Amino acid sequence: MRWRRYLQTPGPIGEYSKLSLWQRAEPLDLVYIGYGLLVVAVVGVSYLLGALGWLPDDPQRINVRLINAAPFTPGHLLGTDFLGRDLQARLILGIQAYFLPGLLAITISVAGGSILGVLAGYRGGWFDTIVTYFDNLIDSFPRLVLILLVVAAFKPDIYYVMVVVGITGMPVIANLIAGKIAFLREKNFIEAAHALGLSAHTVILKHILWFNCRALLVIQATLGMAEAILVETSLSYLGFGVQEPTPSWGNMVQAGANYFLQGNFWPSTAPALAILATILGFQLLGDGLNNLLEGKRGK
Amino acid sequence: MKLAAIKPVSRVLLRELGISASLLLGVSVVVFAILYLAPGDPLNVLLGGQLPRSELALGMREALGVPRTWYGQYATWLGKVLQGNFGNSIRTGLPVLPELARVGVNTLYLIFGSLLLTLLIAVPIAVHAAAHGSTPGNTVATIVAYILSAVPVFWFGYIVVYVFINQLKMFPLISGTATKQAHAWLYFLVPIFVLGVASGTLAEMIRHLREELSRVLADDYIRTARAKGAAVWRHAFKEGFLIPVTEIMSAKMPFLLGGAVIVEQVFNWPGMGRMAWQAAQDRDFPVIMGIALVAAAFVRLGNLLQRVVFTAVNPRASKEQGP
Repeated sequence: MRWRRYLQTPGPIGEYSKLSLWQRAEPLDLVYIGYGLLVVAVVGVSYLLGALGWLPDDPQRINVRLINAAPFTPGHLLGTDFLGRDLQARLILGIQAYFLPGLLAITISVAGGSILGVLAGYRGGWFDTIVTYFDNLIDSFPRLVLILLVVAAFKPDIYYVMVVVGITGMPVIANLIAGKIAFLREKNFIEAAHALGLSAHTVILKHILWFNCRALLVIQATLGMAEAILVETSLSYLGFGVQEPTPSWGNMVQAGANYFLQGNFWPSTAPALAILATILGFQLLGDGLNNLLEGKRGK
Repeated sequence: MKLAAIKPVSRVLLRELGISASLLLGVSVVVFAILYLAPGDPLNVLLGGQLPRSELALGMREALGVPRTWYGQYATWLGKVLQGNFGNSIRTGLPVLPELARVGVNTLYLIFGSLLLTLLIAVPIAVHAAAHGSTPGNTVATIVAYILSAVPVFWFGYIVVYVFINQLKMFPLISGTATKQAHAWLYFLVPIFVLGVASGTLAEMIRHLREELSRVLADDYIRTARAKGAAVWRHAFKEGFLIPVTEIMSAKMPFLLGGAVIVEQVFNWPGMGRMAWQAAQDRDFPVIMGIALVAAAFVRLGNLLQRVVFTAVNPRASKEQGP
């Protein structure tokens, strides 16, 4: 897997010990990362299953004689919803609602954030002021309110929403990269690269972004995916995302709500637990990698 | 000491006020741009296809005095907004600003209450972890906080509602018909509890407070204080506690406003978040624009207060960053 390669390369320049990454890692961080990678694998495989249509049951087949069935009902491993539709199949298919949109969002924030970060950190001066202004401007909006504004203005399309999520994710990455460049400057790293006669192009792309920022970008992309899932599920819960009968984890929680309050917990709880486990996985992976690769060392 | 601290604060306040004003101007441009680029015409929403020919719509525009150019429209709109005229809701016909003020108070209760609750949970864990290092107890607490932060807040709301209605036989929490009863104060506390625990900020708050406090506790001046037997907490309080707490409160304000949209939906709480939801459903532009502007103003105000606290605590800050 791609993650593995990032893990084995040395972190940012600075003091690092002779111990290998695995030896100096905190056990708890390895647990976080392990769980996160498991979630990424499950989500990735389930997405492919859903995309290929290899589902345990037809997610749209209504069975009125088997409504709100409990888990482990014969034929329905995770039970059924309020129309007797198979929950397992709907949960797998629900990943379609956020997977590609989420990738779009993190692509936008990583690409845009890198550009802004390099402009602010490498060029400095006016660019720095403008990027700081943009950063504060984005931070002024509660994101969900901005998204509702876009939903009202355009249409409740998840890709529009994810463009907003991507743009609002840019300042964090830009700040981190600008900070990293300031750190590299302090260590005369950039000056040294220029002294070697390297072009600005090479210094930025290879020496700054690739050698020193890739761990940071992977971490932020991981956290960004958690955010994208949170936004997608919240919106489809609020009724602005994927609409019934197409499943999404958010609208599944919403659909099961009335039965939940009558004491029929499962149809609402199953997708809620899926959201919980997945967001937790991406967040722990990001934080675990952050502690491992970007944490303060030598202390 | 006190006098010396006042001057930089007022200077910083002026500078930050200028920055906030320029940012709010930017916010208004963004809000206007989104609506300007939106397909469809608010006039069509208003008239709902009642006009048979497009020339009539043009005439209608003329009659309503809508400027032709985008900058004309922006200037007119901004001028009205600055006078406190946010327009009338397309749905209810009521002026937006008084309505926002009416429901905004409820959202403020919700946000400040839940922020307080999150801090009450996060601070002891963070302080304990910073002071004693990782112990089994605070590690477990941190992991639980991580899990709580990933809990979908709407589902957590259902659990709480279920417990109250079915197990404790409390009044109807949902439905908005909750009349004043013996436990009316609970009606306010339950949504606050739900947002405070499951808003998704808990883990980040613990992490930030713990990192900052650990960093300060490892500083030389704390070591000196410790060596001479002075009260460590009194020395670490400003930099290690007050600044990180105000920082995280200000940084999480927008996030909580977003969370309020969902919690207000679950509990039928008559606040700004529910209003935003309704406005997005109805494409009620004046309302959603007003909410975005007011929310942004609110976020900037929180940020301003944080900067003031920061400068009051650390007068050097104003000299370092002065123009």
